[in-house]
Amino acid sequence: MGVISEQGTPLPPGPEQNALLGRVTGELQDRGFVIAQLDNLVNWARTGSLWPMTFGLACCAVEMIHAYVSRYDLDRFGVVPRPSPRQSDVIIVAGTLTNKMAPAFRKVYDQMAEPRYVISMGSCANGGGYYHYSYSVVRGCDRVVPVDVYVPGCPPTAEALVYGVLQLQKKIKRTGTLWR
Amino acid sequence: MAETHIKNYSINFGPQHPAAHGVLRMILEMDGEIIERADSHIGLLHRGTEKLIEHKTYAQATPYFDRLDYVSPQNQEHVFVLAAEKLLGIEVPERGQYVRVLFAELGRLLNHLFSTTAYAMDIGAMTPMLWAMEERELLMEFCERVSGARLHMNYFRIGGVSRDLPEGLSDDIWAWTERFPQVVKDIETLLDENRIFKQRSVDIGVISAEDALDWGYSGPNLRAAGVPWDLRKAQPYDVYAKMDFDVPVGKHGDCYERYLVRMAEIRESLKIVRQCLNEMPSGPVQLDDRKASPPPRAEMKSSMEALIHHFKLFSEGVRIPAGETYTAVEAPKGEMAVYLVSDGTNKPYRCKIRTPGFAHLQSMDLLSRGHMLADAVANLGSLDVVFGEIDR
Amino acid sequence: MDLALQDLGDLIAAALPQEVQGVEVPSGELTVRVQRTAVVKVLTYLRDDPLCQFKQLMDVCGADYPEREYRFEVVYNLLSLTHNARIRVKVDTDETMPVPSVTNVFSSANWYEREVWDMYGVHFSDHPDLRRILSDYGFEGHALRKDFPLTGYVELRYDDEQKRVVYEPVKLSQELRNFDFLSPWEGLLPEKTAEAPPKGEGTA
Repeated sequence: MGVISEQGTPLPPGPEQNALLGRVTGELQDRGFVIAQLDNLVNWARTGSLWPMTFGLACCAVEMIHAYVSRYDLDRFGVVPRPSPRQSDVIIVAGTLTNKMAPAFRKVYDQMAEPRYVISMGSCANGGGYYHYSYSVVRGCDRVVPVDVYVPGCPPTAEALVYGVLQLQKKIKRTGTLWR
Repeated sequence: MAETHIKNYSINFGPQHPAAHGVLRMILEMDGEIIERADSHIGLLHRGTEKLIEHKTYAQATPYFDRLDYVSPQNQEHVFVLAAEKLLGIEVPERGQYVRVLFAELGRLLNHLFSTTAYAMDIGAMTPMLWAMEERELLMEFCERVSGARLHMNYFRIGGVSRDLPEGLSDDIWAWTERFPQVVKDIETLLDENRIFKQRSVDIGVISAEDALDWGYSGPNLRAAGVPWDLRKAQPYDVYAKMDFDVPVGKHGDCYERYLVRMAEIRESLKIVRQCLNEMPSGPVQLDDRKASPPPRAEMKSSMEALIHHFKLFSEGVRIPAGETYTAVEAPKGEMAVYLVSDGTNKPYRCKIRTPGFAHLQSMDLLSRGHMLADAVANLGSLDVVFGEIDR
Repeated sequence: MDLALQDLGDLIAAALPQEVQGVEVPSGELTVRVQRTAVVKVLTYLRDDPLCQFKQLMDVCGADYPEREYRFEVVYNLLSLTHNARIRVKVDTDETMPVPSVTNVFSSANWYEREVWDMYGVHFSDHPDLRRILSDYGFEGHALRKDFPLTGYVELRYDDEQKRVVYEPVKLSQELRNFDFLSPWEGLLPEKTAEAPPKGEGTA
């Protein structure tokens, strides 16, 4: 997340950031309310609690789990895995999507509430990858759902997935619409 | 109160379920909360590995084995290179064998750390998972240092391993083995005598030794049923014959014993790792036969012949004489084997992969029948299934 | 080791002279070729005979040799814990001749035979539940046959208008490049284009 200056650029921690935050708290104490643009507020809320659906399909699921637990701890970014599509905002397609699994995957995606995002993790989900020429593999999960962020690698490291999640947050912030 | 008649009904478990360890779909016919019949639908991760391998050279086929059982990739590579070496009739230099055994055992640690604690998480214990995953991170760092990849190493090659251990790695692994037993002890403190853990796993999913043999069990699941059988002891490959370790065996064959056997195997693996580090001889890690393994980089800079060999090996690949073999290793999950048929060209004619999980999952019906719905999850977790290897 | 296996093979051949068609020990692995209809009898003998004790059926797999008269081979890999030995039993068949199922001898054969049926289309008679196991629901053809193209006949995408997943004939933007390193004269094999898909094409 981070703090954003009035010009819309990220503000690193330091005296400038402190001054900005100080102005906000001062105003809040002074008048009892602050004024913000609704879309900015909504995007701030959206990016701060991106709950992904646990959709581990294959090898990438291992790296995804590694990103969730002790070392990389995606919880820091408000990313908490949910087992139900109804509660989740983003689905991380971690692994090879096969023909047999694709209808189930689409159903899970359809059950998610708007706004929903898709992170395609690993080369199999991106475009079939190592299994591109197989008779039973969907050549990229973007044939089934629209994808927001592609994370390359076979498998991408847990760090790469964290970076992908951050990129998605950036994208949400930049798009800045209430409805997609 | 009037007697009500409860009709049997079926539940669809999966294919997307957090406790399914992947993409299993089970149709459970229930009588109230008792499972009457469990019909597993697999193949939701069927990627056509065997067909793809028939179209790739041997070197290109090895990484497919990493992606079968993605929790312990090294062990799967091991079986393929052993099968190819058997058909070629070559012997890996001793240091190469030691390095392979070292990493095969690290793979076993990776697997057991994941499977036992994921099982614990399935039945309600969160903390062991967080502790074990940190150790897995450290192990994956060792893998990264030696091969460049955290997970899918592609490190074992026909004729040895792709490169020697980098400087300082042995010392770091040694330091890790000194610290690691404490983590195992901590995990055991949380689980072994835990009342909830025991209530969820003792006497759940019992399988007798006869049934286990009949259903093609192998590995820790077979040993938990009381059959002392370990391919590392019975049909040793590489330098396992020189290794000094015990084979933990259970008595009762329930979920709890399958967990205990795995935890005991972690300790035995650690012994092997330490013995490997202690006894590792110096020397080459790759066979010095240019028809099977590539020349060292330095030699290619000066020798035309080495350059040609390198080119031939990485374009055409190894040609393996016609023949067939069924080669098995003791993978962390059980007997992992390939039935490799070669027709004398540079591509396998047929490569059937025998995976332990396939046989284990097949017995889900037997294990779960008459148990409660929640016990199906415990059974599944204790069998240690991974769908990459079951569906292939 | 090889000698002992040869002896064991001869012993089996002597005990079942009608059924066993050949015994060989290539690269130190005992292989017994058996008449198709007798496979249940042979496997029961191998399981129960005190000198064999092959109590575990580790694997059943198919193999396709299109040039042979009986193009399919079904291979049973057995393991004896008592004698620490393995044996491979082979049976020949083709598309129409069913192989007797061994599910009554070894429970583990159930899924393995389903897999062979799924991948090669070999029938198993008396199998309790011979359904496809690995391939997609409604899949047509048998994937591991040598005449089945690697990329299959259909691929899948989500159709926005029909609001469901539809199957379409395969269209690849780039074919799998199949270099023929075995003949020194030609670099590329003639492209194997996927033939017209079998009947019943379209959505599923």
